[in-house]
Amino acid sequence: MSTLWTYARSNIERTALIVAALVILMALFGGLLAPFDPLKIDFRSKILPPSPEHWLGTDGSGRDVLSRLLVGAQMTLASTAVVLVVVATFGCAVGIFSALVGGAVDNMLMRLADVWLGFPPLILALGFAAALGASLEAAIWALIFSWWPNYARLTRMVTVDILSRKFIASADALGVGTGAKIFRYILPNAFDVLIVQVTLDISAIMLAISGLSFIGVGAQIPLPEWGAMIADGRSYVANGWWIVLAPGLMIFLTAFSFNIIGDMLRRELDPTSRRR
Amino acid sequence: MTVPLLELRDVTIALRGSNRRMVTGVGLSVSVGEVFGVVGESGSGKTLLTRTVFGLQDDTYLAGGTVSFAGRTLPLDGYMKAARKLLGGEVGFVPQDPYSSLNPTMRVGEQITEALYLAKRMPMNGTATRQAAIDVLGEVGIPEPELAFRQFPDQFSGGMRQRIVFAIALAQDPKLLIADEPTTALDAITQRRVIELMLDRCRTRGMAVILISHNLELLRQSVDRLAVLYGGQLHNIAETAAIGHHTIHPYTEALFDCIPSKGKTLEDIRAIRGEPAGAGFGLKGCAFASRCRYAEPICVESDLPLNSAAQNGFTACLLGRGAPQ
Amino acid sequence: MTYAIQRIAFSILSLFILLLTTFLLSHVMAGDPAIVAAGPNAGAAKIEALRQQMGLNDPIFIQFFIYCGSILRGDLGTSWFTQQPIAQDLLRELPPSLELVLLAMLINLAVSMPLGLITARYAHSKFDDMVRLVVMAGAGLPVFWIAILLQQIVAGNWGLLPIAGRLSFANRSFSGPTGFYLFDSLLAGNVSVFFDALAHLLLPAIALSLLFTAVGVRITRTSMINEFRKDYVTLARAKGAGEARVMFRHVFPNGATPALTVFGMQFGWMLGATVLVEEIFGRPGIGRYAIKAVTQSDIHAVVAVVLIIGVVFLVANLLVDILVYALSPRKQRAG
Ligand SMILES: Nc1ncnc2c1ncn2[C@@H]1O[C@H](COP(=O)(O)OP(=O)(O)OP(=O)(O)O)[C@@H](O)[C@H]1O
Ligand code: SF4
Ligand SMILES: [Mg+2]
Repeated sequence: MSTLWTYARSNIERTALIVAALVILMALFGGLLAPFDPLKIDFRSKILPPSPEHWLGTDGSGRDVLSRLLVGAQMTLASTAVVLVVVATFGCAVGIFSALVGGAVDNMLMRLADVWLGFPPLILALGFAAALGASLEAAIWALIFSWWPNYARLTRMVTVDILSRKFIASADALGVGTGAKIFRYILPNAFDVLIVQVTLDISAIMLAISGLSFIGVGAQIPLPEWGAMIADGRSYVANGWWIVLAPGLMIFLTAFSFNIIGDMLRRELDPTSRRR
Repeated sequence: MTVPLLELRDVTIALRGSNRRMVTGVGLSVSVGEVFGVVGESGSGKTLLTRTVFGLQDDTYLAGGTVSFAGRTLPLDGYMKAARKLLGGEVGFVPQDPYSSLNPTMRVGEQITEALYLAKRMPMNGTATRQAAIDVLGEVGIPEPELAFRQFPDQFSGGMRQRIVFAIALAQDPKLLIADEPTTALDAITQRRVIELMLDRCRTRGMAVILISHNLELLRQSVDRLAVLYGGQLHNIAETAAIGHHTIHPYTEALFDCIPSKGKTLEDIRAIRGEPAGAGFGLKGCAFASRCRYAEPICVESDLPLNSAAQNGFTACLLGRGAPQ
Repeated sequence: MTYAIQRIAFSILSLFILLLTTFLLSHVMAGDPAIVAAGPNAGAAKIEALRQQMGLNDPIFIQFFIYCGSILRGDLGTSWFTQQPIAQDLLRELPPSLELVLLAMLINLAVSMPLGLITARYAHSKFDDMVRLVVMAGAGLPVFWIAILLQQIVAGNWGLLPIAGRLSFANRSFSGPTGFYLFDSLLAGNVSVFFDALAHLLLPAIALSLLFTAVGVRITRTSMINEFRKDYVTLARAKGAGEARVMFRHVFPNGATPALTVFGMQFGWMLGATVLVEEIFGRPGIGRYAIKAVTQSDIHAVVAVVLIIGVVFLVANLLVDILVYALSPRKQRAG
């Protein structure tokens, strides 16, 4: 964390780090801070504008928007994290395998990844939702299914590069086994590139998850997932703008912050982008 | 004495951003019609010097000194705007790599007619322009100039491409042509042929040439005078004819010792010991000191003499080696 | 020639994987197709009869073979909720979506190309830093959220543009042979319908294009920066060419080609992203159709949309590759 802070070169980057940290804290402890039950319906207090009692107002069913945001942070961010962890791990394994085996298998796998990469993930997710039934889990599966080739490609590229370097030849001469090679040379060297990509992908995955929830194939409506909250608040946008504005701003600020951090990490960690 | 065509005095070049000095205190002058050589190891700052002086390098700037062209001193603004105005008319360039210096998506003919348009305001699609372009292609020895006019760069070999690049410069009839290692990417025979052709055409037109190279042998046979650059410092200016007739600058001497020639076996060639200093060596001391076999303590302690008046037979050696006798 | 063969082989492989995916989605993962087809409340006997009739007792690869055959014949099945052949539904829904995507792509190109070129020329300048920030913000905008906000503010509060639909009430009876209203109205010489359709398209197209434009600017910038580093740019400057000529006549044609490939891919992704905006703006189209199909659990209709968008994606990429090839000097030599 402190290294991250030293990477920051401008106030914009520092702000992004703070926002991201706050959002992560929110995802971890938001549920404890929520002043109201995020699911409790109370039609007597519906569509109340922001006030000292309801800081961000209430939604169309009288639920406290702030509480929903706080609890929803966990859903949106945890889903994003799950997708990215699985996708990075699996893609990484395929990429390293492909690079180590080489030859026709490598070629086939990478062709496959190429084909795969193309299809719009949103639409693939729609197909998944239709086949498995609409739920947050289905959306997560769908994204995992469509996103892993990115990481397979990336890891393979890095691995091939590492394997061509001198120290691998000397490691070979010393009889270092494949497993040791992976853990001692490939993974540590691939880590920087992967972490940059993961950070840059956070916003894309988050937007996809909330988008899927918005169109009704992710988290289902009473749930306080941010995209679902926007879907829920849509009908009140004319007389209850805060219901739509708040979750949207949260998605936007989080995604924006992680984009800035990813950009910063790329500048600091990716040697190919350092040209100044 | 006549006014020199191009004159640099105390030219210092620094990186934008870090302000690191890459080239320090270079002075030289090139007169009308002269063939002037610049020699130096890879990284010594040859490209940086010429490109920065004419505003073609955007990550460096001229931090000090004066540049005059045909008797007019050019104002020193950060981007050498005035010097850039001289390009495509007064001054022509032949860049280092023939494989990347032609626009891959533009026909050869158009790249030449564009040069004619920019230098002489000839209409790009005029028949006269077209004929002039074809003529100049013939002049640089392209076998079928009319066919070549319609072709794309990737249809030519490296040697032919270099001729085309040269044709572009020639078409503009500049007073000064700067050829930056125009042949490093080519094999030795093609190299020689292209250089000879180039110098021949320039001499008949009375164009001055600055020929940059690390190939000292090639330079010695083709240029009138030679400037020796090392670690971003100018170490020696000598008439080629005079080299070998009297004591020469230690670095120039070391360079000549590296040339294989008749009667010398490979064992006789003394490669220069140690790693070369790159440009950006700095101001203090002689950049060559760590490898010089004559070096004495004074060589690292004193500043090199600045050579504002870039006279012939100039030597920067602190021990006075290479001074004309 | 080998390039063409490789490229076609790649398309065929892609199509095969696409078909396999849709087959797995609709025939394997969705549960027993016979139960799906029989509908709710069907008895065991009826389901078994259907199993037999649909060939579900055949080995799986034969089923896949039959599936591919019917798809290639243009038979996508019958929709559960429209009660019509899905192919027919798609033919009706595709033009409005394509119209939207084309306009959004136009906006994308019109912004990305010049901005990418200029920020590449002045890389690391104040202006470049500012654009980079805006681009990162744009890449973090939820499309559906910005669509709602645009609709509410620009159309609702300010009344500058229509709120929803494809045409105003007055023009409701308009129809044309292609289903692309912009094109049809010009064909019919009806300018007022043209502008009406355009006004209805504008907000959804802007909302749809924002995210893609953000990526587009970055891609173009990277591609142009690579060109600015090349020696031919130095030579052009050495010839005395001004910066404008260097940028537009030399760098742009070379740098646009690699970027074009990405824009080709974006076309398919944009078509997929119509699910996020069409519903909001009450426009007919493939995205809205897909959402309806999902909510009605009409698996075959959804999978058909997946298939058709996949095909559009493949075709768009193929066309772009052909275009790139046609623009390359290598090709012009042969021709
Ligand atoms: N922007 C920059 N930042 C840091 N160093 C630079 C920069 N531009 C050039 N250099 C360094 O300046 C030195 C001079 O480079 P230059 O290209 O002028 O050498 P050269 O004499 O032309 O060599 P060659 O014979 O290989 O062409 C090199 O060591 C190069 O690494
Ligand atoms: S100054 Fe000293 S180190 Fe430099 S060339 Fe002369 S003798 Fe050698
Ligand atoms: Mg050079």
